[in-house]
Amino acid sequence: MTNVIVFFSDDRSARGLAGAAAKLGGDTRAIRIDGYQIEETLAALAEACRGAEVVLLANDAYSQELAPRLAHRLGGACAGDGSGVQRVDGRIRVTRQVYGGKAEAVLELKRSPAVVWLRARSFDAGVLPDTVEVLASHDSAASSGTRIVERHVSETATTKLEDANVIVAGGRGIGGPEGFREELQPLAELLGAQLAASRAACDAGWVPPTWQVGQTGKKVAPQLYLAIAITGASQHMAGISEAKTIAAINIDPDAPIFRHARFGVVDDYRKVVPLLRQKLAKP
Amino acid sequence: MNILVCMKQILDPEVPARDFRIDPVQKEAEPGSASLVTNIFCENALETALQLKERTGGATITALSFGPESAEETLRKALAMKADSAALVLDDGRLARHPLNVARVLAAAIRRLGTFELILTGREAGDWGAGQTGALLAEELGIPYVAFADALETSGAQLRIRRQTEAGFERIEARLPLVVTITNDEHNVPRIPKVRDVMMAHRQTLTRFELAELHVAGDDYYEVVDLAVPKKETRCEFVDVEELARRIAEITAAL
Amino acid sequence: MNANATREIYWNVSHVWVMYLLLLPALAIGAWGLWRRVQRWRRGKAEGGRFDRPAMRIRRVLEHALAQRRTARDAYAGLFHRFLTYGFIVLTIATIVVALDADFGTSIMRGAFYLYFQSFAVDLFGALVLIAVGMAAVRRYGSRPKKLVYTDEAGLLLLAIFVIALTGFLVEAWRIEATNDPWRAWSPFGSALGRASAMLLSADAMHTAHRVLWWLHLAGSFAFLAWLPYTKLRHVVTAPLNIYTARLEPIGASLKPVDFEQERLGVANLADFTWKDRLDFDACTECGRCTAVCPAHAVGKKLSPRDLILQLRDTPEGAAVLTGAAAPEPLWECTTCAACVEACPVFIEQMPKIVDMRRHLVMEQADYPETMQAAILSLEKRGHPFAGTQATRLDWTAGLDVQHVGSAPDAEVLLWVGCGGSLIERNQKVTRATAQLLQKAGVRFAILGRDEKCSGDPARRIGNEFLFELLAKDNIATLGKHAVRNVITPCPHCFNTFKNEYPKYGGTFEVFHHSEYLEKLASDGKLNAPPKDEVTLHDPCYLGRQNGVYDAPRAISGATIEMERSRSRSFCCGGGGGMSFVEEPSDQRVNQERANEAVATGAKTLATSCPFCMSMMEDGLRGRMQVKDISELMLGAN
Repeated sequence: MTNVIVFFSDDRSARGLAGAAAKLGGDTRAIRIDGYQIEETLAALAEACRGAEVVLLANDAYSQELAPRLAHRLGGACAGDGSGVQRVDGRIRVTRQVYGGKAEAVLELKRSPAVVWLRARSFDAGVLPDTVEVLASHDSAASSGTRIVERHVSETATTKLEDANVIVAGGRGIGGPEGFREELQPLAELLGAQLAASRAACDAGWVPPTWQVGQTGKKVAPQLYLAIAITGASQHMAGISEAKTIAAINIDPDAPIFRHARFGVVDDYRKVVPLLRQKLAKP
Repeated sequence: MNILVCMKQILDPEVPARDFRIDPVQKEAEPGSASLVTNIFCENALETALQLKERTGGATITALSFGPESAEETLRKALAMKADSAALVLDDGRLARHPLNVARVLAAAIRRLGTFELILTGREAGDWGAGQTGALLAEELGIPYVAFADALETSGAQLRIRRQTEAGFERIEARLPLVVTITNDEHNVPRIPKVRDVMMAHRQTLTRFELAELHVAGDDYYEVVDLAVPKKETRCEFVDVEELARRIAEITAAL
Repeated sequence: MNANATREIYWNVSHVWVMYLLLLPALAIGAWGLWRRVQRWRRGKAEGGRFDRPAMRIRRVLEHALAQRRTARDAYAGLFHRFLTYGFIVLTIATIVVALDADFGTSIMRGAFYLYFQSFAVDLFGALVLIAVGMAAVRRYGSRPKKLVYTDEAGLLLLAIFVIALTGFLVEAWRIEATNDPWRAWSPFGSALGRASAMLLSADAMHTAHRVLWWLHLAGSFAFLAWLPYTKLRHVVTAPLNIYTARLEPIGASLKPVDFEQERLGVANLADFTWKDRLDFDACTECGRCTAVCPAHAVGKKLSPRDLILQLRDTPEGAAVLTGAAAPEPLWECTTCAACVEACPVFIEQMPKIVDMRRHLVMEQADYPETMQAAILSLEKRGHPFAGTQATRLDWTAGLDVQHVGSAPDAEVLLWVGCGGSLIERNQKVTRATAQLLQKAGVRFAILGRDEKCSGDPARRIGNEFLFELLAKDNIATLGKHAVRNVITPCPHCFNTFKNEYPKYGGTFEVFHHSEYLEKLASDGKLNAPPKDEVTLHDPCYLGRQNGVYDAPRAISGATIEMERSRSRSFCCGGGGGMSFVEEPSDQRVNQERANEAVATGAKTLATSCPFCMSMMEDGLRGRMQVKDISELMLGAN
């Protein structure tokens, strides 16, 4: 019985995967991928994972891109965005949110290997095996069809949202990029927090898409998530289900966000945030 | 260039939580009063295709859906947005709608429809959100795959792709044919069709396939063993700004 | 003694045939000008239902063209405008009488008629015309109200009227003086002017001057006649025509269905307007009352119905119209409150034209405000306009025993809740209050619950007629399935749609706004009306101005204080026409203006009877005053 964990440069994810693998029992191999190129990496990884019963990946873009195809090539089955994984009667079961976070499903994978991508950072950290295999992709642009030619790291994403202890997030109610710049950013600086946004604010172009938290954005797990002018649709809540404390500022007392928040202020954020900064700035 | 966009009709993800019910036997959401809508990422994909067509000219766009009769509405909307043609594979319920089965059905239909250089899907659907169909479709068709793209442009025989990652974005150069999944971005918010075009779309003919005629072998890739609505509502304590500041300071001090 | 009273026609004037020679070209030029306008109307698209019920139409012409009831709402302008109208009517009749006696051998102009009418009335009304010109000049060049249009034409017209009236007076005066008219006492102003002139002019000079001035007066009058159809004064013809052909139904019924087979949906070009629209343009008197009452204009937005109509009037045949005053930006500021329609003294229908142009922007160009798009998308997908709401259509029923119409075959009336009444939390309380009152009164009612969809009002006002029709037909089919006949609704927008719009799609219902129904229950003794209190009432546009329901909400709200603008002149909350889905700039909010007006009454409570007004007023008041629906006020007394 062999589990393979596959990861990129993110150590926290790798330890989360190791933790998940340990609970499944059996041996664990670890593969770190260097120099990702889609087709080459996939081919090499399929080769490297042959014979494995479980392949665990994290929920980063590369892992999600690889996992279903890897399962297909290995004749296995795949499930993703798992918040839990367990072995029941020799079969792998994956727990995941569905219907935009309104429901939770348990899927049983019917074929082996089970290729699963997990919300790795929310798993208890485990210990990586002593040897980590490194898979470096070959530079064979001519044959592979696709080539990543530029990797652009957004300035605002230098500290990962997923790592943040405190997140200040804004939604459609912020009304425009100025609100983020003039109200939320100074507040975030004061708190040493990362900035995030709902899909509505990203789609409006007020902030970059890397800020998006939710079902189809980042899944975050801060100690404090301060949701400002965010209604709290289930798709957004699906991204913050691991947050320890949610606090909300919203002008609408009936906003669903208050059904998830530990505490909240009902008022216009334009009034609350300046006052809040003032109070927090006082020693 | 022939572009094919896969589009899925789903239960309205915005259905209020209080109206959301689960059928414990079928392990599906109950349709109840919720409406059926086009998955937003599929619309983002169509919008991206339309923009590519507008920039390059000479492309044709085909919308393809696998679903029940009602999925015709999704295709009519695609035509109203100015897809050139549309095809429906009528789901007879014979196959579990798991990503691998869906990918096989789509691949079979695509082979019947012609040759396509570019195949787009949404990154995932707002119902089950498996996020696998595009990738499995690439495998079924035996062509390369790129995920999470938000902008496409042609450059000679190549396709230049911008795609989102956790850290920012990447640029990818790709040869065709290719499967790409599309994610949302401020530039691919689906256009509102003109009412004139909505009316025209209802007069266009759709290509229709019965599932049986595509001869797809089902393969139960996974099984849903449990589906439940988690109960977790917190009682919110409403406070004033001063108290909010105090609570926040408490939490941040403990970090 | 007076039986022979008369005067010599054409005294001191020879070569009278020259007058007819001059009259022909004057009439020809005038007629040509008018004919050109008529041709312009005839090039418009067909529009029916403008000539039925002639008796009602004639009554309306008498009331508004002759008695000028709307014009008189501005007391000062109303006064001088009547002087001018009646002066011109009297003087024209007098001229015709002269022509009849001179050329057709009648002898009307003698005796009592000569003295009372031809002498005294003509003299008096001539003087009133001069006074009116003075009053108009003081207004136009002294107080300069903002609503007027300051054109050279307007000044020249005043001057022309002044010159014609003055020369007429002098001719009269000098004849009286020179002939020492025995009946001069019957022309007091002319007589006095004659005596005064005699101090300056010798008898001979007066003789000559009379002859010259007679011809000048005649030439001036004829020139004026020729010029008139080329100026805003063409309204002496177009206004009565326009009033005659005006819609007889309430304003709420004024949107036209769209023929989806035509080549262009909505209005983008002058060619898309109907003959009646074009007559409307030509009826405009430039008085500016529409813009003066426009809520969007009042808060500093670009919309000006007056400028829009004038621009359309001057648009050349075949030209595009969606620019300037009819550019998309002002069009998207309209709340469709119809204050403009109600204010227009010549019955121009401004608001429906705005909706016609919106229809083009929405249906042909898909170019309209994003937040309205979100509302439309939500209507398409979910049958309600509130994108992202987590409320359901049944939330308000919690704890109440309310039946779905399908399981209540003995229900006498359907409570049509509306999206606002079910999906906006504040209004859920209103719906509950209404249901509780009906229960207390023993009314057997049922609801459609989840089967209810938006009536289509916002879709229609935003300009998506296609979606409106889908929703209307859907709802009519649902209601038909349950054989619903009687409907109560707490939403004036739904009320208007049911009452005025569904019949065109085969849905005929007896529909009551909840204020009407509750008032009826109160007067039947089944419910108590609340006691009089320090309550002021906001009239929803779609209930009051657009459907004429003013008294029912007053009777059951205990309202005792009126706002400055109330009843038919009520000021919009800012939420109609899809505007409740638009975030207005913070310094240009219609609801702020209305909220301030409510606060200024000093009342304790603002009563309203519309879910959109409720939201807009609560937002505008921000706790300065409580807002209650009439049903909530009534529930307190039961």
